[in-house]
Amino acid sequence: MGVVEQAHNVKILGSGDRTIVLAHGFGTDQSVWKHLVPHLVEDYKVVLYDNMGAGTTNPEYFDFDRYASLEGFAYDVIGILEELQISSCVYVGHSVSAMIGAVASITRPDLFSKIVMISASPRYLNTVDYFGGFEEEDLSQLFEAMQSNFKAWCSGFAPLAVGGDMESVAVQEFSRTLFNMRPDIALSVAQTIFRSDMRQLLSHVVVPCHIIQSMKDLAVPVVVAEYLHQNLGGESIVEVMSTDGHLPQLSSPDVVIPVLLRHIRSDIAV
Amino acid sequence: MRAGLSTIQQTLTSEAATVLNNSIAEAGRRNHGQTTPLHVASTLLASPTGFLRQACIRSHPNSSHPLQCRALELCFSVALERLPTATSSPVVTEPPISNALTAALKRAQAHQRRGCPEQQQQPLLAVKVELEQLIISILDDPSVSRVMREASFSSPAVKAAIEQSLSNKVLVGNDINPTSLGMAGTTQVSLPVNRSLYLNPRLQHQQQQQEQQGKLRSNHSGHQRNDDVNRVIEIMTKPKKKNPILVGELEPETIRREILRRIENNEFVTDELNNFEVISIEKDFVSMADKSLVPIKIKELSDKLDTRIGSSDKKGVIIDLADLKWLVEQPPATIASVGRESVAEMARLVAKFVGKVWLIGTATCETYLRCQVYHPTMESDWDLQAVPITSRSPLTNMFPRMGANGGLGSSVQSFNRLNNFATTMNLDPNRKVSCCPKCSGGYEEELAKLKELENPRDEGKNCLPLWLQNAKTKDQSQIEDQEQVLKQKIQDLQKKWRDECFRIHPNYNRSLRLDRVVPMVVPLTGEYKPNMLLRQSQPGQQPWLQPVRTLQEALQPAQLPRLEPPRSPVGTDLVLGPKKTNDLTVKDLLGCISSEPQKGKFANTADADYFKRLLKGLMKKAWWQPEAASAIATTVTQCKVDTGSRGSVWLLFAGPDRVGKKKMASVLSEHITGTNPITIGLGSRRDNDETSTLFRGKTVLDRIVEAVRRNPSSVIVLSDIDEADMLVRGSIKRAMERGHLTDSHGREIRLGNVMFILTGNWSTANVDEHLADEQRLHSIATRDWKLKLTISKKRLKRLKRSANWLSGNDQSTRPRKESGMDLCLDLNLAIDYEEDRTDGSINSSNVTIEHEEDQHFAVTSVPHELLGPSHGAVVFKPVSFGNLRQEIEKTVRNALATIIDENITIEVEAGAVENILGGLWFGWTSLEEWAEHVLVPSLNQVNAGLLSQGEDMVVRVESDRDSVQVASCGDWLPSKIAVVVDGV
Repeated sequence: MGVVEQAHNVKILGSGDRTIVLAHGFGTDQSVWKHLVPHLVEDYKVVLYDNMGAGTTNPEYFDFDRYASLEGFAYDVIGILEELQISSCVYVGHSVSAMIGAVASITRPDLFSKIVMISASPRYLNTVDYFGGFEEEDLSQLFEAMQSNFKAWCSGFAPLAVGGDMESVAVQEFSRTLFNMRPDIALSVAQTIFRSDMRQLLSHVVVPCHIIQSMKDLAVPVVVAEYLHQNLGGESIVEVMSTDGHLPQLSSPDVVIPVLLRHIRSDIAV
Repeated sequence: MRAGLSTIQQTLTSEAATVLNNSIAEAGRRNHGQTTPLHVASTLLASPTGFLRQACIRSHPNSSHPLQCRALELCFSVALERLPTATSSPVVTEPPISNALTAALKRAQAHQRRGCPEQQQQPLLAVKVELEQLIISILDDPSVSRVMREASFSSPAVKAAIEQSLSNKVLVGNDINPTSLGMAGTTQVSLPVNRSLYLNPRLQHQQQQQEQQGKLRSNHSGHQRNDDVNRVIEIMTKPKKKNPILVGELEPETIRREILRRIENNEFVTDELNNFEVISIEKDFVSMADKSLVPIKIKELSDKLDTRIGSSDKKGVIIDLADLKWLVEQPPATIASVGRESVAEMARLVAKFVGKVWLIGTATCETYLRCQVYHPTMESDWDLQAVPITSRSPLTNMFPRMGANGGLGSSVQSFNRLNNFATTMNLDPNRKVSCCPKCSGGYEEELAKLKELENPRDEGKNCLPLWLQNAKTKDQSQIEDQEQVLKQKIQDLQKKWRDECFRIHPNYNRSLRLDRVVPMVVPLTGEYKPNMLLRQSQPGQQPWLQPVRTLQEALQPAQLPRLEPPRSPVGTDLVLGPKKTNDLTVKDLLGCISSEPQKGKFANTADADYFKRLLKGLMKKAWWQPEAASAIATTVTQCKVDTGSRGSVWLLFAGPDRVGKKKMASVLSEHITGTNPITIGLGSRRDNDETSTLFRGKTVLDRIVEAVRRNPSSVIVLSDIDEADMLVRGSIKRAMERGHLTDSHGREIRLGNVMFILTGNWSTANVDEHLADEQRLHSIATRDWKLKLTISKKRLKRLKRSANWLSGNDQSTRPRKESGMDLCLDLNLAIDYEEDRTDGSINSSNVTIEHEEDQHFAVTSVPHELLGPSHGAVVFKPVSFGNLRQEIEKTVRNALATIIDENITIEVEAGAVENILGGLWFGWTSLEEWAEHVLVPSLNQVNAGLLSQGEDMVVRVESDRDSVQVASCGDWLPSKIAVVVDGV
C-alpha cells in the first residue's frame, strides 16, 4: 500500500466501471458515508479516504502551512487519485471537501467527471454583496471557544451543526469524530475553512457540479447554493432537500441517500 | 529594430533565444505593440517543467503548492491583458523589443560576462547569455517583480533560488541533479525524482524514511538534524573554507556522528561525498597524556595519509578532529608552544593534501573562541568554516546524557514513546494499562480472552472497515451497546489490574509516577508545542504535576457523563409530559433546575460567587419564588461559563406570576448591565414601564431590532410571547437559532451579547383569578395611604379595628390575634410564643396551599420550538398572596422585635399588611430594604417614647387611611411612618 493510501486510510470497496470518491467534511471522517456506501458498492468502485487532520489520521502528517489553504487538501485529493491511478471519477464532497474537489478540478479537470457538492459554500463570511451566513465576530467567537475549551465547544457545536437533539445518534456520531481531532489541528482546519474564499475560483471550475443542500443549515444558507449555481464555470444543478443541518447524509439518510444516488447516477441533461 | 533583434539573438544561447522568440510571438498573438519583460516571464512560466516555475516553487514558503504557480500564471496573463494593444492597422507579427526588455537583456549579458572569469578576455559576442541569466535579469525588471508580488511571490527570493541552483550547478558540473538543487533546510536530499508534485511533504518525508529502512531512525529530531547535516555537507562541497567545525553545546556531537556514519556507509546520494575514508584522531589525541606529543602525531598522520591516498581507491580522507578541546585544554606552560606547533603541522597537512583531505570537528563556543585567541591563523590555515549549531531545546541541557552518549537511538526512542503517549492517551481503551510488567502481562492475557469472547463473529469480515461492517449488518444502537459494554469491561479490567498492581507492587507504582512526570515535561520544552494545546485544555495550570490521577481520568473520557446543559431534560419532559402526569412534570422540572447550587457544578469559585450574588439579588426582590430564583441563577451562571459571557442568551420564564418574572428580569438586568431591562410586550397587555414612545408605530419585530441596536449588550424582556402572533414567534425562534434577527425590511442585525428573556404563562393556572387579585392589590396600592405605628396600653379585650379587606381569605390573622390576646398575660413569653406560633401557622398554611396548587398547576405547553434553542426555562409557580402576607407580617414583626423591648406586644394589622404587599408588588423596593430603611428608624422613635411607659404596651402597625400623603414617584411604599402614641 502506498504511503498516501496509508496516510489517508484509503479504502476501496465494491467494483464497477466508474469510480466514486467520497470525501468527508470538517469534523468527520469517512464513516460519515456509512449510510451511502452500501448502496454504491454493487455498481461502482467506491474510494473512501480521510482528509489530513481528521481524527483518524496521524497528526504528525498535518503540515500547518500546507493546510493553511484549501489547495493543500486539494493536492492530497489529486495525490490519492494519482497513486490509485484513477483517471476519472465522480467526486462526492461534503462541506469543505466539495470546495476542495472544486479546487482540485481546476488543477486537474481530467480527473473529475463530475462533482457532487453537499452543503458546500465558497465563502462563509458575509460581505456587502455576499451572504455567507457568518460575521467576522461570529468567527472570532467560534475560534475563541475552540481554543478555550475544545471539548465544551464540540458538545455545543455538534448539535448546532447537525441540527438535532443532543441525544440523537447523528449528533453523538458527529461529536465523536469532531472530538477525535487534535484541538490545535481542528482549530487550524476550521480557520482555513471559515476564512477561505473560493468565489474567484468558481468560474474556473468547468467540471459539471451537482449542488445538494439542506433547507436549513447552520453553516450554509440556502442562497449560497444559488450563488454557486450562478458562479460556477461549468454546468451545475441545485437541489435543496427538506432536511435540517449541515450533515444531512448523517442525520437524515432516508431523504438524502435517494437524492445522492440520483445525482451520482444521472448527469445533468444538456 | 529588426537588425537589433538579430544582434541580440546572437548573444543568447539557443535555449534563451527560443524563449525570446516565443515571447515575441506571444506579444504578436496578443496584438501588443511591444515585447516586454512580462511576455518573457509569461513564456518562461508557461513551460511546465520550466526553470522559473521550479525556482518559484522552491522560493515560496508554502513550497508544496503548485497552484500558487497557477495563480502566478493568471496574474501574468491579467497583466498582459492590461498592456495596450498595437494601434497601427497592419498587425505587427513581430512586435519590437521594448526598452525594458532590452535593458534586461543587456543586464543578462553583463552578468554572464562577470559570471565566467575565463571568458572575460573574449570578444563581446562570444559570450552567450544562458537561460538562467536571462531569467535572473527578467526577474530584476520592476514590472515583473510587481506582478510576482501580486501573486505573493518575491522575485528576489526566486532569484536567490536560481542563483543557489546555479552555484550548485557549477559545483556538480553539467549533470544537474534536481535533488541537489533543493535548498538547504529541506529534506529532499535523497528524494526520488519521480515523486508526485501533489504529495504532502510530510508524507514524502515519511516515505523517504521508509525507504531508508530506519537508517534515519528519527521522525522528528531527525528532520531538524537533517538541516544541520545538510549545511555541513554543503560546506564540505565548497571549494574554499570547506572544513566544518560545528560550534555549539551538545548537538554538534550528534551531528558529527551522524555525518560520519553516513559518509562511512556511503549514504549520500550526491556522490562527491561518497567513497570517503574517515580517520578519527579522537582516540589518539584525547587520551594522550602528554599533549606535547600531538605535533608528532600529526606528522605521523601526514605520513600515513601519504601512503593511504596513493594506494586506496577512496576519493579522499576525512579527518575527524572530534572535540577541539584537545588543542586548547593543555597545561598553560605548554599551550602556547605545543598548540602553535600542532596548528602549524595540521596546516601543512591540509595544504599538502588539498582536495584530498577534509577536516571535521566540533567545539563548544568557548573552545572555539579560545582556539581563535591562541591561534589566530588557524581558521585560515586549516581552511575552517565554523557552523553554529543551535541547540533545539533545553531538553539536551536537562538530560545531558541523551545528547552526549545516547547518540541518536536512545533520544529518538524516547521521543517516539513520548509522542505516542501524547497522542494516544486520550481515547484508546485498549491502551496498555499502567502497571508493572508482570501485572500488565496478566492484564493483556485477560484482555485477549475478553476480546476473543466478544468478537468471535467479526473475524470473517475483516475486509470491510469496522464502521461499515456495523452499518451493513447490524442495528446501530445494538452495536453501540456492545461496544459500550466491551469498553466498560476493558476498563474494569484495567482498573482491576491497576488496583491489584498498586496493592502488590507499591514500589513500582511510585517509580512509575516519576517516569510519568518526566515525559510530561519534555514536550513543553521540545518541539511538541502543538500538543501543549491539548494539555492546556485540561483544567489546572500545571497538569504535568498531577500525573497518575489525570492520566486515569484522561483514560476514561468516553465513560464520563457529558456535561449536559440544563435545558435538555426540560425539553423532553415538557414535550412528552401528558396531562395526567402533570404533577410529576412540574416536580421534574423543578428537580432538574435544582433549587440548590449543585456542588461542583461550577468549575471555579468565581462562578460560584457569581451564582451566589445573583441568587441573593433575585431572592431579595422576589423572595416568594425561591425555586425560580435558584434556577435562573444556575442557568445564567451556566450560560456565562459556557458562552464565556459572550453571545446572546435566551431564557424562558414560564408561569403565571407576572410580577415575579418582571422583578427577576430587572434584577438580572441590574446584575448584568447595571441598568433596567428593556421590556417589549408581545401580548395584549401593556405595562406602564414599557418605553412605548420610542417604538410607537413600529412593528414588534422592529422594536426588538431597534432595542438590540441601541443596546447591544442589554437585557431585553419579550413579555407574553405566548400571546404573540406566529410571525413574531417564528422570527424569534430563528433569531434564537441563528444569532441574528431580521427586521421587517429584511435587514439583519446581530444579537451581540443581548440576554433575551421570553416570558409567557403556558400554565394551567387560572390567570384571570390571579389577575383579579392583582388588580385589587393595585387599587389598594395606588390609593394614597400611609402607615402608622400606634403605641397604646394593652387592653385585654379588644375590638377588631380595621375593616377586613380579605374577608374570606384572611384565615390566619384573626384567630392569631385572639390567641395572642389570650397569652399576652405572660409578657415575657408572649413574643416568642407568638412567633413560634406564627411560624407554625405559616408552615401549615404553606403546606395546604402548595397542596392545592399541585392539584391544578402545571406548566404544560411551553412550545418546543422555543424551548429547544433556549438556554433554559424557568418555571414560576403561581403566587399565593396568603403566603406573601404572612411573610410580610413576619418580617415586620421581626424587624420590630429586634429593637423594641421584648415585653411589648406587636400587632400587625391586616390592612397594613395588604398595603405593604401592594407596595411591594408594584414597586421596586424589596421588603428587607424597606424594613431596614423605613420601619426600623420609625420604630426607634417609638422606642424612645416607649421606654418610660413600662409594661403592658402594644405596638400596632396599621394603615392610616385618614391622613393623605402623596406617594413619592416610583416608590409605592411609604417612606415615613407616623408614630402615634395613643391613650397614654
